[in-house]
Parts: sequence; C-alpha cells; structure tokens
Amino acid sequence: MDPKVNGQIQKEWVWLIAMYLFLGGVGSGAYVIAAVNGLFGDGLGLATSIGLWISFPALGIGSACLLVDLGSPLRAVLAGVKVGSSWIARGFWVISLFMVVAFVHTVLVHFTEAPNATLVGVLSIVGMVLAVGTMAYTGILLGASKGIPFWRSGAVPVVFTISALVTGHFSIMIGMGLLGEAAAMAEPLRVMAAEAAVLVVLELLAILFFLQQAFTQPDARESAERMLRKTLFVVGYFVLGLAAPLVLMLVLYYGMSEAGGGGIAGVAGLGALLGLAGGLILRWAVLACGALPTLNIAGFEFRRIGRPKTLRPDIGLMPPQ
Amino acid sequence: MIGSTELETGMPRYGMVIDLKRCYGCFACNMACKVKNHTPPGVFWSRVLKGETGTYPNTVRQALPVLCMQCDEPSCLEVCPTGATVKRPDGVVIVEKDKCMGCKYCFMACPYGARYSVEKWESYFPEGIPLSPYELFTKRAWEEKSGVGVATKCDFCLDRLAEGKEPSCVLACSANARTFGDLDDLESEASILIRRHRGTVLNPELGNKPKVYYLPPR
Repeated sequence: MDPKVNGQIQKEWVWLIAMYLFLGGVGSGAYVIAAVNGLFGDGLGLATSIGLWISFPALGIGSACLLVDLGSPLRAVLAGVKVGSSWIARGFWVISLFMVVAFVHTVLVHFTEAPNATLVGVLSIVGMVLAVGTMAYTGILLGASKGIPFWRSGAVPVVFTISALVTGHFSIMIGMGLLGEAAAMAEPLRVMAAEAAVLVVLELLAILFFLQQAFTQPDARESAERMLRKTLFVVGYFVLGLAAPLVLMLVLYYGMSEAGGGGIAGVAGLGALLGLAGGLILRWAVLACGALPTLNIAGFEFRRIGRPKTLRPDIGLMPPQ
Repeated sequence: MIGSTELETGMPRYGMVIDLKRCYGCFACNMACKVKNHTPPGVFWSRVLKGETGTYPNTVRQALPVLCMQCDEPSCLEVCPTGATVKRPDGVVIVEKDKCMGCKYCFMACPYGARYSVEKWESYFPEGIPLSPYELFTKRAWEEKSGVGVATKCDFCLDRLAEGKEPSCVLACSANARTFGDLDDLESEASILIRRHRGTVLNPELGNKPKVYYLPPR
C-alpha cells in the first residue's frame, strides 16, 4: 500500500458509513413523516404506523453498520464522552435518545389499548426534534471534517436532511404499497406522490447548490468533478434516483387518477425503491469523493500526481514510483 | 509565531523545523520512522511528498517531508468522541490506544493525512513465510505501542525524547534538514531558524497552528 498523498480520496469511510448515514436518514425521515401525520393527519393511520415501525429498526441497523466499521467496537460505549466538541459524541446521544423515544412511541401506540393522547403528543414532538437532529447530524458529521474540503460545506447537512425526508417518505410509500389494501391505498398514495415530488425537487435544488458551492474551491471542485464522472452517481443518483422517481410521482399524481389500486401501488413502489437506492448512492458518492486538501508552500503544490495510463518509453515518460 | 502560553508552565513546547532547501527527498526519514516505530505495511507516520511548480521546460521539483504537525489547535483532538486523542503539556498530540474505538473521524479531521490504522498486523513478506525473530519482535512492539483497530500517528518519538535524544527522523536526515527543539525557548536552534529564515507552516489558513515549520525552498 502506498503512503497517503494529499489530493487522494479518503479510503476509510466507504459503504458501511454510507449505510449508517443512509439508514439514519431513512429512520429519522420516516419518523418525522409519521409523527406529523399522527399529530395533524389521520392519527394512527397506516402511514403513521409504517413510519413508526420503520424508524427504530432502520436506526438500529444503521448503528450496527457503524459498529461493524469501528476498529474496536467494544469501546463504542465511550462514543459519547466528548460531547462538548465532537459531532460523533453528540450524534451518539441524539441517536441513542431518538431510538429510545422511537421505540417507546412505537410500542405505546401499537400495544396499548388506549394510549394517553398527551403522552403520545409529547413523544411525537420530542421524537421529531431528535429526528431532525439525527437528519442534520448525518450531514454535520461530514461538514465538520476539516481534512476533507469537499465536505466542509453548509450545503451537506441541507442535502442530507432533505434526502432523509425523501427516503423516509419513500420507505413509507413502499410499506403502504405492500401492506395496504390496493384500492384503499390509491388516493393516499397519490397524495404522498405529490408530497414526494415536492421533496425530490427540493433535494435536486439542494444538490445543485452543494455542487455549485464545491466548484468555488479548487480542492472541493476536483472532488465534485470526480463525483460527476462516476457513472454510478450520474446514472444511479441523478437519473434513476432523482429524475425517474420525480417523473413517476408526477405521473402517479396527474396521470393515474382513474387507474386501479394495483397500478398505483406498483408505480409508487417502483419510484420509491429507485428513490431509496438514490439516497444510498448519494451518501456513498459524497464519501467516496472526499479527498485530503492540497498542501501548499512557497508556490509548490504537493498532491496526487497523475499516473499515465499508458507508458510512453519513446519520450522517456515513466510513471512516478 | 513562537507561542508563550507554555512559558508560564515551564514545559517545553516541542516542534520541528524542516529546511526545504536541504531536503532532497531521499526517504531516509521515512525509513528511519518505520524501523524505529515498527510500523506495518501501509502505515507511514513520516512521508515524503513530491511537488512541482513552473511550466515545462522551466519546472522545479521539490520534496516535502510530512509527519504529524503536532498542531497547537489539533482538529483531530476536537473531533475525537472518546477522548483518546490528547495533547500533552509539552504540545505532543498522542492517541491513548485503550480509549480509541477506531471510528476514524480523526482521519477525516486531519488535513495533513497524518493518521493511520491497520485492521490486522501484516508482515512485509508474502503469506506463508514464517515470521523471523525480528518480525516477531516488531509485531509485539507494534501491538504494545499502537495495536490494531485504533488510530495511530507520529508522537515525535516520545520514548527517545525521554532519553534526551532527538526523534529518529531527525537523526536519520543525511542532509541535516531537520531541527528539533523547544519552540518556546527563544535561544533554541529551532526557534532561531524559524525567526532567521521566516519559517512557515503548511496551509496556515486551516487554523490548526502546526508546530512543524518549513524553511522556504528558495
């Protein structure tokens, strides 16, 4: 293995951390949608119920991904020690508390005959605050990393927060399509499709803002260009993870008012699945394109040196050793 | 740039000066660090980068030795969730391996790429070849000092400092490009070099206040 060279992408945080950030977003996003729906919508309707059932397991599996990625998982109990300065420590407490609230909320509304409405309301509000904290944390965690210029942008928490809402929303739509009676779900899914379309447009604007910000700083610009050269990002996120779900949601809302419940559930499920995959690809791409900053001194730049793809012995050009 | 905070405590504030005019990129510091600290494959507490400037054919190459900058405002310390990263009173930033959970957040916080970790200790030789007595010794030494699954980094060879010796990279530098000393001692050679030759630090705009200074290459 070669020594680290500034300008190279970081290789320590890859898929497991992407899963951690993604599932943290799905769990918190689904909880917010469920809690809002529960407080201002249909009480314990199917959407609320599914959102609550998604949040705790998603957060649990996401946290397990982080644990697996740790070099010394048994010391994870120390993760909350330096809450005064470390965002991982703050996130540890926010996510831990959120998981407790989400679990209690889910159990309370599903397994008690007549849950106390005031208690449910308080849990919903506290849970929503913690859920928003979790959504933002997944972006702030990266934004506070001084060693990766690409991530050091206020746009990252914005992108991840909106993406968390989008993926949480889509995960509930998938649950409704799978668990609900097709005919009864047709209208709620169409309404949710309209909401999802608005959220996807907001995410599109946020990601464009993030890229625009990145292009204003040389090191971040190189990372952004690297990200835009990745086929998985362009096709998997922009085309299949944003554009396709947006089109499908608009078709669902405007073009399928007369369609049967099965067709609506199918289109909603397909769009939502693509949107969920896009959310994971987004986080992976942001992680996988983060690079150490160029070191500068006295006019010299010390960074990754391009290695020629083909040797040109005829002109004496050899790859750097 | 010489700080005065530690003057009151009577503790030294260790730092290093690297004269880029003298460094010719021989990698002796790199190798000396590896031999002294028994770092396994892929771990480079001391590195040498190569940079260039100018337009062909008028170009100049320059070597840049890099190690942990032992920052006065270390961003790795700020982000460490467990308190494993500590700044000692003498200014050396260390990792207490028994507290590190291996989250690698410090890797993302350090703009100088100074931190490394290994998931398992590996030999420099292909698998299947029995470990030599020297390798068994280095394996044990690495596990005692750093270990697997935790963040590791240069500590200015603290054990050598305790014996009144210089860090091994300073000793190994054949061009005498490295000078180690107390930055709070205005009469130390390191302080004098920084003042006399306008020593500067890498990427000062990041605000980490590194204690590894560089004398300009020209």
